[in-house]
Amino acid sequence: MNILKHTLATSLAFATLNGTLWATDLPRTADHDYDAPAPGSYKLPIVKRAADGEVLDSDGRPLRLSELTHGRVTVMSFIYTRCAAAKACPMATGVLMQLHRLSAEDEALAKHLRLVSISFDPSADTPSRMAAYSALADSSKSAAEWRFITTASQARLKPILDAYGQAVDRKKNPNDPTGPLNHTLRVFLIDRDGNIRNIYSSGTLDVRLVLADVRTLLAEQPEKNT
Amino acid sequence: MKRSISNSLSRIAFRSLAGIATLTALAAVSGLRADETCSSPYLARIEGQEEFVYVWTLGVQGLGDGSDKLVTIDVKPGSPNYGKVIHTNSVGGRNEAHHGGFTDDRRQLWLSGLETSRIFIFDVHTDPSKPRYLKTIENFEQITGGAVGPHGVYALPGRVLVPCLSNAKDHGGRTALVEFNNDGGYITTHWLPTKDTPGIVGAEFADGYGYDARVSPRKNVLLTTSFTGLNNYLRDFGDLVKDAAAMKEFGNSMVLWNFHTRQPQKAFHVPGAPLEIRWAWGETHNYAFTATALGSKLWLCYEDANGEWQAKEVANIGPGGGVLPVDISLSADDKTLFVDCFGDGKVRVFDVSNPHQPRQICEQVIGRQLNMVSQSWDGKRLYFSSSLLAHWDKSGDDNEQFVRAYHWDGRELKPAFDLDFNALKLGRPHHMLFGSTQIGG
Repeated sequence: MNILKHTLATSLAFATLNGTLWATDLPRTADHDYDAPAPGSYKLPIVKRAADGEVLDSDGRPLRLSELTHGRVTVMSFIYTRCAAAKACPMATGVLMQLHRLSAEDEALAKHLRLVSISFDPSADTPSRMAAYSALADSSKSAAEWRFITTASQARLKPILDAYGQAVDRKKNPNDPTGPLNHTLRVFLIDRDGNIRNIYSSGTLDVRLVLADVRTLLAEQPEKNT
Repeated sequence: MKRSISNSLSRIAFRSLAGIATLTALAAVSGLRADETCSSPYLARIEGQEEFVYVWTLGVQGLGDGSDKLVTIDVKPGSPNYGKVIHTNSVGGRNEAHHGGFTDDRRQLWLSGLETSRIFIFDVHTDPSKPRYLKTIENFEQITGGAVGPHGVYALPGRVLVPCLSNAKDHGGRTALVEFNNDGGYITTHWLPTKDTPGIVGAEFADGYGYDARVSPRKNVLLTTSFTGLNNYLRDFGDLVKDAAAMKEFGNSMVLWNFHTRQPQKAFHVPGAPLEIRWAWGETHNYAFTATALGSKLWLCYEDANGEWQAKEVANIGPGGGVLPVDISLSADDKTLFVDCFGDGKVRVFDVSNPHQPRQICEQVIGRQLNMVSQSWDGKRLYFSSSLLAHWDKSGDDNEQFVRAYHWDGRELKPAFDLDFNALKLGRPHHMLFGSTQIGG
């Protein structure tokens, strides 16, 4: 099976494992056996600033990463499309899929949320490949913006990875069936002002928590983001 | 085109479900997981067997360079340097070197000093056999709002959690949990709850003291324990135990927090200074163990049939108490618990297959004093170190300072290597952490 189709399918499967794609009342699961907190009942302190960088969108147009980390609450996921590790990139993309689907039914999310999938494998994840990966994005105009981003080269990518603490290493076996790269799973929650307010990895990437965090930030008054 | 791709994906998506389940099951049973059993669940894992043991070591005046230092021991099977010190990195001065931990990507090792509140940060990624000093957090007290005595460093996604022991105001046991991002930037401080903190079940038991902090990701809960403040832990142990008023200044609580919101929910009365926390790993095992240093008891914190969290005493440690249980280590299969006892230098091994009824199955002398234990994921190798605190360690011939490695066959511990840190002029070895050149995701 084409590796891209396989990883896309795995992401779709993960989105389904966590309940229906369109459910707004998502249940507990075996991996996340707790009730999600009420949005706004807690605080999310600033972890650090979301760094800028030179990136390319799925049409190959150059962008500043800061254009995608300001103005809306952003959920940004570092991925690579050759990843077939069950609880890594496909899972992360599955969570973004769920958020995207939910936003199609929620005006506030649609208007104020942005999703970003950014690749750390520019040699394979060209703009056209990211465009193919973007098939996951619902074509509904009512859903939140979802951007698929890569970089022109390792030289452009490295400062971004360093700034976000995204660890990536080549595996000894380049033909590893789960993909050629070892990496820490990283999904970032970024507020409207470009501050990272949470970082999720495989143990904390529960769409209910991400959603509660997004709504917590949306409820914040802009001048109180400190 | 997009719709046809989506339909195609939907058809194969559900075939992927079986694949995901298979992959997950394979990972669980095939031993793909490696690494130390007591590490943070968010930590990138060692693949295969540990290659190095990093030992955070307290300096001793007049012994070698007298400085706290990071010692690296080669434990790679077949290595010509197996069981030998291959690298040291002195930080200059003595800080009461105590515990440390990795960032979640396992690229940095953060090591703390209980007296100076300094945190030393090392690069263990570029060359794991030769950790490289990066920088020091010098302003811990100031930046945290008065927390002191950073006790441990616990990996969280993109950040570390540092449980503390004391405070700058009175050097007593009232203290906090502190968060830093992986760059060393301060994030926030959470003061441990007291009886006056609103909204906590069992608030009357909340003494504000801290020690360890560990997460169960699956249940979204954080547990903390309680020790004592700087006034006590920097004091000579012999003097301390004669001071009845000071001996009352020890923690008697555990606190359960909502991990995601960092809000304390329930406090438990756990008398006698509960120290290290070890969560069970099994997918339906919603419990954790701790041992009380002054009470010599094994305690269980568990989720009951009604989904409520409880804490209860489940076993005595040692014959009639007084053995000062300190570090503990739970096997990856949740069946065996190793309990180190500083007082008599013994490790006591419990069958905890039924966590509510632990049963001691082995008892073995490791040295004249004993503190830390680190266990491999396959349960076959254990490493022990001797030092507790500079002013609490024994004196004279009883002041053995060692790292000793053993093989465990399920019934007894058989020596693998023995490093005398006094003879090597290194100091008092304390916290041990595993290193490797083979790190997975």
